[in-house]
Amino acid sequence: MTQPLLSYKNVSKKYNQRLVLKNINLSVEAGMVIGLLGKNGAGKTTLLRSALGLINPDQGEVNVLGELSHQLSASNKEKIGYVAQQTFGYEGFKIADALALHRSFYPNWDMQLEAKWLARFELNSNSAVNDLSIGQRQTLALIMAMAYRPQLLILDEPVASLDPIARREFMSDLFDLALDSGSGILFSSHITSDIERVASHIALIKQGELLLLDELDVIRDTVRKINFKASTIDLSAYKVLNQQQNCAIIYGYTGEVIPDALAINTLSLEQLFVELHG
Amino acid sequence: MLEFINVNPNSGDPIYKQLHEQVVRLIVGGQLSAGDELPSVRKIADHFAVNPMTVSRAIGQLVDQGWLERRRGQATKVAQKTVQQTDQQETLLFKAIDQLIQQAKQLDVPQSTISELIKKRWEL
Repeated sequence: MTQPLLSYKNVSKKYNQRLVLKNINLSVEAGMVIGLLGKNGAGKTTLLRSALGLINPDQGEVNVLGELSHQLSASNKEKIGYVAQQTFGYEGFKIADALALHRSFYPNWDMQLEAKWLARFELNSNSAVNDLSIGQRQTLALIMAMAYRPQLLILDEPVASLDPIARREFMSDLFDLALDSGSGILFSSHITSDIERVASHIALIKQGELLLLDELDVIRDTVRKINFKASTIDLSAYKVLNQQQNCAIIYGYTGEVIPDALAINTLSLEQLFVELHG
Repeated sequence: MLEFINVNPNSGDPIYKQLHEQVVRLIVGGQLSAGDELPSVRKIADHFAVNPMTVSRAIGQLVDQGWLERRRGQATKVAQKTVQQTDQQETLLFKAIDQLIQQAKQLDVPQSTISELIKKRWEL
């Protein structure tokens, strides 16, 4: 087995006595695009930032490209791309100058890719960063994080401010990175339809716990909402993700008849998300 | 052929299943004929803005089930028709029928009424 690009082992983190990450185990391997799904405050950003050594876990360890995340060497840092939820710095710079400075930190910077993306997203390199819209800043941040083809790309709500056309183009770039360059991508987003399109895997996090982690298609194929009258219904053959009085969300369904079930329905990712927080 | 296909990420079905089902429909319905070439996985993925692995999965299943043929170094093509494929016209309606049955049961509408209803609507 190849070594994962990023792995969390039994990672827990507390802020002021409140557990924000509870015993997280998660690995990102080459070619994977993991969509991290969770409510605001579920721990997504803490999880992402701990991969960069920006946050130290209280328990467990985070390995990045073979090193502990808080002891990353410079050469490995050059292989990681990160776009934070809030951008961004380079105030008072022109785009061209901001890119020139940024580029100087990354020996593997691809000028052609930079030029291609600037043109595609209609960014004028003479514009001042201060004058950019939020969406344009996000685009610039993505260019800065991806133009050196990082082996590991970590994106915190990267596309929330991009228009649908820019989102699509950006997704296609993600695939280039994951499939052609063999990178691994971990990204959080609230836009479930984007995750549905882009992700190969889904990690669903609720109140700091990793509730579900699997291939997107497996999740979509085997997650069902079951409606029933009697609470005596036997769902022990499945992993029950959420159970209410008259319905439950199960995982691992493969088409069997469930006695006492009134209805068995598939769920879109958005429905699953909403149901799990019901 | 891509213009005949529609991917909806918010639907109850995973994207690979939507692609699979719609290609089968195009073949059974005759919009795609034996020997027609499919665009590359990457082109299809770009067109719908979906993960190429999702497209690969759909195509792989279609190849396994004999709908498509894949030869090394060549474009994937629609396979020659087999007897089994003609049965599929009916199978393709199962999902819609199952949904109808489920709704009829929820509304307490008996089977005989459903048959009559179908007949009535058919002749509209």
